[in-house]
Amino acid sequence: MRIKRNGYLTAGLILTGIIVLMIIIGMFWTPYSPLTMSAKEKLQAPSLRHLMGTDNFGRDIFSRVLKGAGTTLTIAAATILIGSVCGTIVGALTGYFGGVVDDVLMRFNDALTAFPSILLALLVISLVGPGNKYNVILALGIVFIPSYARITRTAFASLRDANYITSARLMGASNARILLVHLLPNTVRILLPALTIGFNNAVLAEASMSFLGIGVTPPDASLGYMLSEAQGMFAAAPWYSICSGLVIILLVFGVGLIGEGLQRGEREVE
Amino acid sequence: MKYAAKRILLLLITMILVSFLAFLAFEIVAGDPAQTMLGTEATPERLEAVRQELGLDRPFIVRYFSWLTGFFSGNLGVSYNYKQPVWQLIAPKVENTLWVCFISFILICIISIPLGIWSYNWTNKIWDFFRTAFNQLCMAVPPFFTGILLSWVFGIVLKFFMPGRFPDLHKDFAGALRHMFFAAVCLSIPRIAMTIRMMRSTVIGEMEKAYVRTAISRGNDRKGVLVGHVLKNSLVPVVTFLGQTMAEIIGGSIVVEQVFGIPGLGRFLVASISNRDYPVVQAIVVILAFWVVIAGTVADLVNQAIDPRLRLGGSK
Amino acid sequence: MLEIRDLHVKFHTREREAVAGISLTIRDGEILGLVGESGSGKTVTAMSIAGLLPRKQCRLSGEILLGGKDLLHADRSELRKIHGNEIGVVFQEPMSSMDPLMKVGLQVGETLRIHTDNSPEERKKLVLAALDDVELPDPEAIYNKYPHELSGGMQQRAMIAAAIASRPKLLLLDEPTTALDVTVQAQILELLKKLNRTHGISMMFISHNLNVVRKLCKRVAIMQRGELVETGDTEKIFTDPQHPYTQRLISAIPTRTRKEPV
Repeated sequence: MRIKRNGYLTAGLILTGIIVLMIIIGMFWTPYSPLTMSAKEKLQAPSLRHLMGTDNFGRDIFSRVLKGAGTTLTIAAATILIGSVCGTIVGALTGYFGGVVDDVLMRFNDALTAFPSILLALLVISLVGPGNKYNVILALGIVFIPSYARITRTAFASLRDANYITSARLMGASNARILLVHLLPNTVRILLPALTIGFNNAVLAEASMSFLGIGVTPPDASLGYMLSEAQGMFAAAPWYSICSGLVIILLVFGVGLIGEGLQRGEREVE
Repeated sequence: MKYAAKRILLLLITMILVSFLAFLAFEIVAGDPAQTMLGTEATPERLEAVRQELGLDRPFIVRYFSWLTGFFSGNLGVSYNYKQPVWQLIAPKVENTLWVCFISFILICIISIPLGIWSYNWTNKIWDFFRTAFNQLCMAVPPFFTGILLSWVFGIVLKFFMPGRFPDLHKDFAGALRHMFFAAVCLSIPRIAMTIRMMRSTVIGEMEKAYVRTAISRGNDRKGVLVGHVLKNSLVPVVTFLGQTMAEIIGGSIVVEQVFGIPGLGRFLVASISNRDYPVVQAIVVILAFWVVIAGTVADLVNQAIDPRLRLGGSK
Repeated sequence: MLEIRDLHVKFHTREREAVAGISLTIRDGEILGLVGESGSGKTVTAMSIAGLLPRKQCRLSGEILLGGKDLLHADRSELRKIHGNEIGVVFQEPMSSMDPLMKVGLQVGETLRIHTDNSPEERKKLVLAALDDVELPDPEAIYNKYPHELSGGMQQRAMIAAAIASRPKLLLLDEPTTALDVTVQAQILELLKKLNRTHGISMMFISHNLNVVRKLCKRVAIMQRGELVETGDTEKIFTDPQHPYTQRLISAIPTRTRKEPV
């Protein structure tokens, strides 16, 4: 796959790279412990000592944001992994083999994708039980399967009857070989921009759920939960809300630019 | 007309299917409502009595249909948590949510449709970059974050409304409207960005079609081509998108209701999920699902009025 | 009536000129055939007459004179007055060339709406007359139909009606019959002949099909790689082609009467 480099891609990669690098560092080392409270240093404005200030317990917000962003990033990554792998398998098989199963599954799929993802995630969460990191991953993962299945199915179904596939079949290639060697690589270029959109949806959905208090709950912290915590102390420590919100925005913005760049780069190559 | 009838029939079938699935899912997960209501120390006799009282001794299908008919007669069962009829709890909240969604939808339409058409003219590379980047930025802003900022600026500082103290819709309509307006703004921003983007690419796509050349060859000016031909042709995908927007808004309202403290369906849903109050969750989920399928149907019917080619095909 | 003088068209994206200096006249009331294979520049020539080339994407030089006015260097507002009013265009694919969401009658009346101050009732009368001119059955019913409700042949008739509704001096026909069945094609050719005869509209008929051109046009111009290789009386060119390319073109026409070499 060739993609022409463009401003969107470069800007997106740089922005996302910086944020992800900081988050990964934050998974192993933070300037302060995100949980250590200090009565002396509560509600401090951002300074060199505390880059993003402190909250009403005197916890270092920069460290908390790093840790929280780490949780958000992990959940989003796990979610799109589940969604894209399961979705690709379902979409590939139904798209390639077609038939009644395909019809029924895709009708069901259409119905599911009509629903807002947050609503479906809430439904699944209410069934598996709220307040647990793994349940959030499970809920969001399931919710994102249909959209990936649909994208892959369309690609596989359109390529199924392409001449080079027919000739591969005539040469005796097995279905498994056609699916994996001939078809799968061709869907990557369609799947890649979809992954960036999916990632962003996952970040926003996780943040919303945690904000609502039915996603990740303490002792784990995610950016969404931190924002709900920060809302209560906005007047006293506005930097808490603003910093954690900005991290979400920049992460989603960066990945969004990558997605835009991928789509445009692809178009220009064509 | 035949198409419309078909589409509405399809809608009814979908509604029945959706409600059945929701009923089934909660039936499996929720366990025995009598047990949940009475706690683990209830005597078997007492349990049996409550089961009879709730009609749980009847077969599954019978209970489903009595629940479904209850949906339209306002009998949705009793909340575990509040020990009150679900319908009584939900009814006032439906209204608040509908208002938030309605205001938000209007904002999206009146802002993004003109901007989408207007942004078609921006072909300069550098402008295009900034426009696209700004668009992406708007899509990246979570509504609850804007919500926190707006409720501080307009609530605490400027005192346009009282965050967390939502006035009764029927007693102080203007106050409630002010409160909901800001919630709707937060809800709309990412969606406006998406709609503009969608609108723009649709118009650009239509502009490349052959009928545009014909229109120019007849002496239409730029405006004549756009207003006389392209806009109507761009409308079908946009209406479909707005139908989805309607569905997305109701999802998004769950979050902004929380931020602004608006007692709506979404906020009640979240509280009920935390309390495992299944009859309430079940009812709200089905109401929201109905909303989504109805929005899709309305979009289809509007499209069918716009595009005569859609009147032939039956379903899809 | 229309004179092309040394027309050059070069697209920025292409190395070669699409039209490399052609000079051509269309006389009053005649049907001129413009023949060439795809990529020979015949459509580009027609589009430059019609003023439909994207000016930002190409470089134009030469002159195209219609009644003394130079169309090639006319500004947009001048062109708009000519579009549809003095020059009508019929394109290759009737289906995609019609606005799918606009009733046929309104599309046919569009040039009248733009170029005249007729009242809607007068306009409708003229549209019905135009639909009748192109021999569409039941114009009143066709008026209220959408393009997809018509067959390909009827769509093309409607397109012709739209092009002649405000009585232009010149009709540009860009492969108008290529997308149609052979029988429909013949009917459309007959119709064009009739319109030429009764209304006296000059026409430029573009085609890659020599046979079609022979049936319709008195005079023909042959294009190859952006250049005009031969112009002249159709019958003369058919019987006595001068240029080697024309000779090859004509010998490539399959005929039933040609004797097989023994």
